[in-house]
Amino acid sequence: MLFLLVLLPALAAMAVPAAVRMVPGSPRRSLLLVAMTGLALTLIVAVLASIGDWTGTIVWAGPLVLTAVTTPVSGAMAILVPMIAMPVLAYAAFHEEEAGLARLIGILLLFVAGMESLVVAADLLTLLIGWELVGICSYLLIAHDWRDAANPASGLYAFLVTRIGDLGLFAAAMAAYAATGSFSYDSLTGISGVPAVVVSFGLVLSAASKSGQVPFSPWLFRAMAGPTSVSALLHAATMVAAGAYVIIRLEPFLATVPGVSGTLMAIGLLTALAGGLVALFQNHAKKLLAASTSAHFGLMFAAVGSGYPGIAFLHMIAHATFKAPLFLAAGIAGERSGSYDMNAMRYGRVFPIVAGLTAVAAFSLAGIPPLGGAFTKEAIVTAGEHNSLWVAAAVILAGALSAAYATRFQLSTFGFEDQSAKDGKDRANHSYRPSAVETGALGTLAVLVLATSLIFVPSVRDSLGRALGINIVEARFATFVVSTLAVLVGILVGTVLVRRDPKVGLTEQTQSVSDWLGLPQLIDRMVTRPVMGLARAAASIDDWVIDAAVQMISSGGQRAAWLMGRRDDRILDRGVSATAGFVGLLAFYSSRTGEWLLNGLADGTAMVVGQSGRDARRIQTGMSHHYYALAAAGTVAAIIFLLIVS
Amino acid sequence: MLTLAILIPLLGSLALALRPGWSEPVSRMIAIGASILSLLSLVIVWIGFDTGPGAPAFQSVAELQWIPTLGVAWRVGVDGMALAVSLMSALLFVCSIAWPADYKGRARQYYAWFLFLQGVSLGLFLTLDLLVFYVFFDLSLVGMYFLIGRWGHGDAEFAALKFFVYTLAGSLAILLAILGLVLANDTLTFDMRALITAQPLKGMDIRSSLVLFGFLVGFAIKTPLVPFHTWLPLAHVEAPGPASAILAGVLLKMGTYGIVRIPFSMMRETFADYAYPLAIVALVSILWGAIVALGQSNLKRRIAYTSVNHMGYTVLGISAAGAAFGTEGPRTLALTGAVTEMVAHGLITGSLFLLAGSFWQRTGTYELSAYGGLARRSPKLMIAFFVAAFASFGLPALAGFVAEFQIFAGTFAVYPWLAAIGLVGIVITAALFLSMAQQIFFGTVPDQRLSFTDLSRTESGFVAALLVLVILIGIYPGWLLALIETGSAFAPFQGSIN
Repeated sequence: MLFLLVLLPALAAMAVPAAVRMVPGSPRRSLLLVAMTGLALTLIVAVLASIGDWTGTIVWAGPLVLTAVTTPVSGAMAILVPMIAMPVLAYAAFHEEEAGLARLIGILLLFVAGMESLVVAADLLTLLIGWELVGICSYLLIAHDWRDAANPASGLYAFLVTRIGDLGLFAAAMAAYAATGSFSYDSLTGISGVPAVVVSFGLVLSAASKSGQVPFSPWLFRAMAGPTSVSALLHAATMVAAGAYVIIRLEPFLATVPGVSGTLMAIGLLTALAGGLVALFQNHAKKLLAASTSAHFGLMFAAVGSGYPGIAFLHMIAHATFKAPLFLAAGIAGERSGSYDMNAMRYGRVFPIVAGLTAVAAFSLAGIPPLGGAFTKEAIVTAGEHNSLWVAAAVILAGALSAAYATRFQLSTFGFEDQSAKDGKDRANHSYRPSAVETGALGTLAVLVLATSLIFVPSVRDSLGRALGINIVEARFATFVVSTLAVLVGILVGTVLVRRDPKVGLTEQTQSVSDWLGLPQLIDRMVTRPVMGLARAAASIDDWVIDAAVQMISSGGQRAAWLMGRRDDRILDRGVSATAGFVGLLAFYSSRTGEWLLNGLADGTAMVVGQSGRDARRIQTGMSHHYYALAAAGTVAAIIFLLIVS
Repeated sequence: MLTLAILIPLLGSLALALRPGWSEPVSRMIAIGASILSLLSLVIVWIGFDTGPGAPAFQSVAELQWIPTLGVAWRVGVDGMALAVSLMSALLFVCSIAWPADYKGRARQYYAWFLFLQGVSLGLFLTLDLLVFYVFFDLSLVGMYFLIGRWGHGDAEFAALKFFVYTLAGSLAILLAILGLVLANDTLTFDMRALITAQPLKGMDIRSSLVLFGFLVGFAIKTPLVPFHTWLPLAHVEAPGPASAILAGVLLKMGTYGIVRIPFSMMRETFADYAYPLAIVALVSILWGAIVALGQSNLKRRIAYTSVNHMGYTVLGISAAGAAFGTEGPRTLALTGAVTEMVAHGLITGSLFLLAGSFWQRTGTYELSAYGGLARRSPKLMIAFFVAAFASFGLPALAGFVAEFQIFAGTFAVYPWLAAIGLVGIVITAALFLSMAQQIFFGTVPDQRLSFTDLSRTESGFVAALLVLVILIGIYPGWLLALIETGSAFAPFQGSIN
């Protein structure tokens, strides 16, 4: 029953081609209708399922059973996914290019289906299935504009980086089965020792790669090759969120394994700080947001590591609501400007409404009270404080960076400077205005951001905590003050950068910072190139082995020819090898007899790796005869032997 | 009924060979008809097949005395594994026979050889007599030799010869091993059922070891496992597309099927003693096959090497299942995975090679660099190719995942390190398949491909039949797994080893 959540968006995806074909003219409206219907039904089922505690079971065979449950957290996540996806898909239907739009919407719907299956999964097999489906959908979405070969290449990069992480999940499932004979989450609690280490670190590896944590972060940059709506969905409620979601969901088990919490905290804080720095120096609007995504998921990892998965989950909701509209806004600005270079934007005067809606989301990203992002970040500071002051300090610093790049993003993309002098000489599309649907989608998401502010109301907070079964920690007053001061400093830094040094990140010294601190080059040098080199070397070794065998057979053939006493063939054979490569020698022979040359050329065409086809045929006849004689003799001998024995 | 499945294509082949007057369309109709009838008789067996808990070791058994003094008889019968593999093979034969190829003006002979190959291949999977098994094993070589040599391209005859000589060496090893095994038994019989019950050879003494090595080397060449694989790429590249599909989809399975049917079942204790080295060879095949495939720039060679990788998974599962330790659950899982992989690989790689044949029919080249940007020109071909590629690198909701997940999960409980290292293979295969598909379908179209056409109705119909099964097995494999796990190969281990 619960698998309806997976089935509905998948069915909507299948309805896409029919919908496009039935309605003539522009496909935008029919696509909007199909997508909204599918997602609305998914949303309704998700709500019903979390109220009614639905479950689902599909039996394959033996231990292979797909199971799904709604817990408070999985139910909430199952609701969040279609809720964010609806405005994003509506935006996609009206913002993206019409060519391939049906394909885009269809795969986005499949993407939601894959995400829902990993959200409601109650065992590692179901999780793995959803996990990989989300991965392959992301590949297809990033490669969406396939005419430019660079896009599929980026898609492949993203897919392979995350699939390396998926190996962790495979290993976790295998180890869990070996230890318990089952793949279910429930049986994980019974594992200890080495299997527990394999399962937990396997999960952490997968989660880190999906959520763009160090050292996997660069794939999020490459993912920016996809359309804007894809980035919005990828970063807000699906794919990237899957990593953090899984460690939140399985935190009770992970916390029992020594070393896991510390690892999560280390990965998370490192990514939060590095990602913040990268974002601050980025001038590409979407890449800035991508680095920010890594950083914020890093904060969630740190919260889970500190033992507060509930807080991490709240931050994930807040992040989903503000990150999706920021991407949509970047898409609008980018469409107008013709590129994502933030210094060519400043569309505050051109699109005042969009600018205002974006500001709401940007404030939440910056962590400015009373927006939801501020509360959840303070809660993470407090969660960290319960471990050590250093953790809290690192989170506060990450928050300051977040405020700085959020400010920079807002003031650059939708600032109020007069850019009319700049406009006109570049690729800008001056006739572009966002359609009502695009603005509406942005507005809906901005309203969701405002709704997250309600968490500052104590009664709302308490009932939310009860419903989700979360202990919502509140920041001490001193912490709150320090943290807010840090945010203010961040805003100041961001503003100064935009006004005084808009080209930061473009200079030689800062460029590598903005490109993930040189991590992509490191990966290229340490992984990609060695593997490709190894592959080529292996291929040529393998060919050489084949070649050696070929040489052996052919030398046997030559000997057979010699035995037959056909001397002219030896000369011919030499002519043939001459054609293989020694053009000079060929000329020499050709000067002797034209006929030999002609023969040689004819045979040369039948060559493979320098061998003459005639030789091959000769071996064939010779060897087959030998074999059949041998086989016949052997069979007769065997039968006689058997008759004697019996 | 099983005898019919073997005889119908053989009779069809004979008829085609003896009637020179038949035109191409008539020959084609007879060939497809005979092939489908053969498939149908297997489907009838399948309908009557009992997958219940008390099912006998072999079902639909028929026996006809032949040489009683030697214990040789025409015996046929199936367990779940044989039925699953032969159903897949028969279906793949129907599709391959119907697939358009370059007949070189000898369509009648082409169809005759194909039907012959279908008859002997099914015979190998359905027989319960070791000597008949051996005869069919050798005859399949003959059929494939002529298909590659006469209808291949490039230096086809050389490739066919290499294939023939190489696998013949293997089949001689198998013949000697069969004789060694049969003579070790108290009563002289080639009846597989009797030999499975008797377990004539045990332990690691020189005789048992030699017999086991005979089987393993012979089947390793056929499968093929590294380092016996070098005949494979050459044979594939020069073979016509449909013959490649059969070579990869059916003939390679004879190796792994043979391992399970003979050494795995008939000398369990010796097999268990040598399972670990065999598993290591399988692991090497997984990694080597994947990494070498990644280094190829030729469409068909690349697919060919992935067969080495995938058959490595299969053998890894078989050796984990054959190892005498570990509990019953993981071993069943590993063996089910291995047999599922045989079926899945047949359908998936069969489709890939048929599609490769379509590329050749249209352009005459397999060089990847000669392609680009075909997504708009041939959307059907692209979708089929991507689905098959996804399935091949083990994407969930497709058949390959079901097989590989079971193999890895089952193997991990027995040989954790080997399974963990083998996982690397699934990343490399993803890289090599996606980069290949991208090169062909994405980017800009080279000028000489502007007239490239999409799949014809025949082509898309038959490849869809294969890929729909791949998806069905991927989403709901219960029926297939229940079928596979019935009967002889999965009989509980009754050896005396702890």
